[in-house]
Amino acid sequence: MTELAVEVTDVWKKFRLYHERNQSLKSAFMRGKASRHEDFWALQGVSLEVMKGTTHGLIGRNGSGKSTLLKCLAKIYWPTTGEISYNGSMASLLEVGSGFHLELSGRENIYLNGSILGMSKKAIDKKFDEIVDFSGIERFLDQPVKNYSSGMYVRLGFSIAINVDPDILVVDEVLSVGDAEFQEKSIKKFGELKKEGRTIIVVSHSMALMDDLCDRITWIDAGKIKDTGPSSGVIKKYEQDQTHA
Amino acid sequence: MNYVRQLFAARELLANLTRREVQGKYKRTALGQLWSLANPLAAIIIYTFVFAFIFQIEAPLGDPSGLQNYALFLVCGLLPWLFFSRVLGQGVEVIVSNSGLIQKVYFPRIVLPISLTSAIFFSWMFEMAVLIVALLVVQAFSVVLYLPVVLVFMVILAVFASGLAMVTSIINVYFRDLFYLVSIALQFWFYLTPILYPVSLVQTQSDKIGGLFGTPITVLDLYRINPMETFVTIFRNLLYDNRLPDLSVALVASGWAVAAALAGFLLFAKKERDLAELL
Repeated sequence: MTELAVEVTDVWKKFRLYHERNQSLKSAFMRGKASRHEDFWALQGVSLEVMKGTTHGLIGRNGSGKSTLLKCLAKIYWPTTGEISYNGSMASLLEVGSGFHLELSGRENIYLNGSILGMSKKAIDKKFDEIVDFSGIERFLDQPVKNYSSGMYVRLGFSIAINVDPDILVVDEVLSVGDAEFQEKSIKKFGELKKEGRTIIVVSHSMALMDDLCDRITWIDAGKIKDTGPSSGVIKKYEQDQTHA
Repeated sequence: MNYVRQLFAARELLANLTRREVQGKYKRTALGQLWSLANPLAAIIIYTFVFAFIFQIEAPLGDPSGLQNYALFLVCGLLPWLFFSRVLGQGVEVIVSNSGLIQKVYFPRIVLPISLTSAIFFSWMFEMAVLIVALLVVQAFSVVLYLPVVLVFMVILAVFASGLAMVTSIINVYFRDLFYLVSIALQFWFYLTPILYPVSLVQTQSDKIGGLFGTPITVLDLYRINPMETFVTIFRNLLYDNRLPDLSVALVASGWAVAAALAGFLLFAKKERDLAELL
C-alpha cells in the first residue's frame, strides 16, 4: 500500500533574464525607460509523483533546471504555473548553517536554527542531546560559533537539519560536508530516516551516492523530464548520454 | 487569512529571531545592554547643550505636571523618535540583508521586519524605564498613573513603524538605493517633528502667515499631517504634561498604525513568494 508524499503537477517556472535592469530609483528616473528582459523558462511542464517512504533523486547537467525544481519543492521559489502538493510536513536542507548568528554560542544557535527550520522549542529540547552527539562538538557548545572551524560549523548545521524530523525532506548536495567519517555517519543517518518511513528528495552530482541512496531517479534536461524510473536504469542512460555528448 | 495563520505558526521563530537580535547585538561587550543607552544619552547631552544652553530655548511648562525642564521635554519626544527612526532606518534593509536566509530556507518572510521591530522595542523599553526613573526623581509622581497608557501607545507606535518598515523593505528589493533616500528623509522628518522645539513655536509662525494662498489651510495644518507629530504630542502629554491625550489625536495615531500595518501586511502577502528570486 503506497501513497503519495509529493505530487508535482505540470510545473512551469519562468525567470526574467535582464539585459538592462533598473535596480535603483536613480536609474529608473534618469534613464527614463523600462528594464529590458527576456523570459527564460527554467522548468517546462514538469510532473512528478514521489511515493511515501521512498528516496527520490534528481539528476541533470548544470543549468538543467534540477536546482530550480528543488527550490520549488523547498518553497523557496513558487511555480509560475502548476502546482506542488505535499502530504505531510516538509523541511529543506539546501545549505547548512544558514541563519547561524556568529556571536551566539553553539547552544543558542541550535535553538535559533532549529526554529528557523520549523522546529518547536519542545522538539528541540527533546532532540538536543542527539544533535550535539551527532555533531561531535560538545566541548565547544558554549563557544561563539564564529570561533568554530568550518568543519565544526557545517557539522553542527547538518546535525540540526537532519534532526528536524519532517515527513518530507528536501536535500541539496549537502551530503558532501565534513570529513569522510562524518559523511559516512550522515549517509547512515539517511538510511535510518528512510527506515522510519520518511520521504527524501535529493540532488547530487555523485552518481555512486545517488545509486546507493535513491529508489527512483528523475533525469531533468533543459527544463523537462527526460526520464524517470528505478535508480540504476536512469543513471546508466544518463551516463551513456554524458559520454556521447 | 491563510497568511495570518502562517504567521501565527511562526510565532516561536519570531521570538527566537528577536532574541537573536537582542542577544547578538551586545554579546561579549563589557557594558552589554547598557550600550543601547549610549546613543540617546549622547543626543540628549548635545541637544540640551545647544538648545537650552546656547540658544536658551525656554522649556514649555508641563500642564498640569508643572515640569519645566528642557532636557526632560526633549527626551519625552526624542525616545519615541529614536525608536521610530531605528526601526525604519534598519527595517528598510531587513529583506536585502537577510537574503542568504531567504534563499535557503522557507519561513514567512514577514517575521523579519516584525522581529527587528520587537528587538528595537526591547531597547526602547529599557530607555523609557530610565526616563520614568528620571521623571520620578524630579517628583513628577503622577506619571506612574499613565504608565499603562504609555505602554499602549508604545505598541501603537511600534505597529506604525513596523508597517512602514515592511513596505520600505519590499520596495528596497526592487530599488536598492531606497535605503539612502530613507536616511535622508529621516533627517528632514526629525526636524519637521516637534522634538527639539515645542509645537507652539510653529503655531506662532503659522498665525503670522495666516491662510495659505487664500485658503483657510495654515502652515500648522500641513505640519500636523506628519504622523510623528501626532505620536510625539501623545508621548509628551502622557510623560511631560501628565495627562491623557485628546481622543481625536489618539484616534489619528491608531489610524496611522492600522493603515501602515495593513499596507505592509498586504504587500508581504502579495510579494513574499517572489522575494527569493528577486534578491
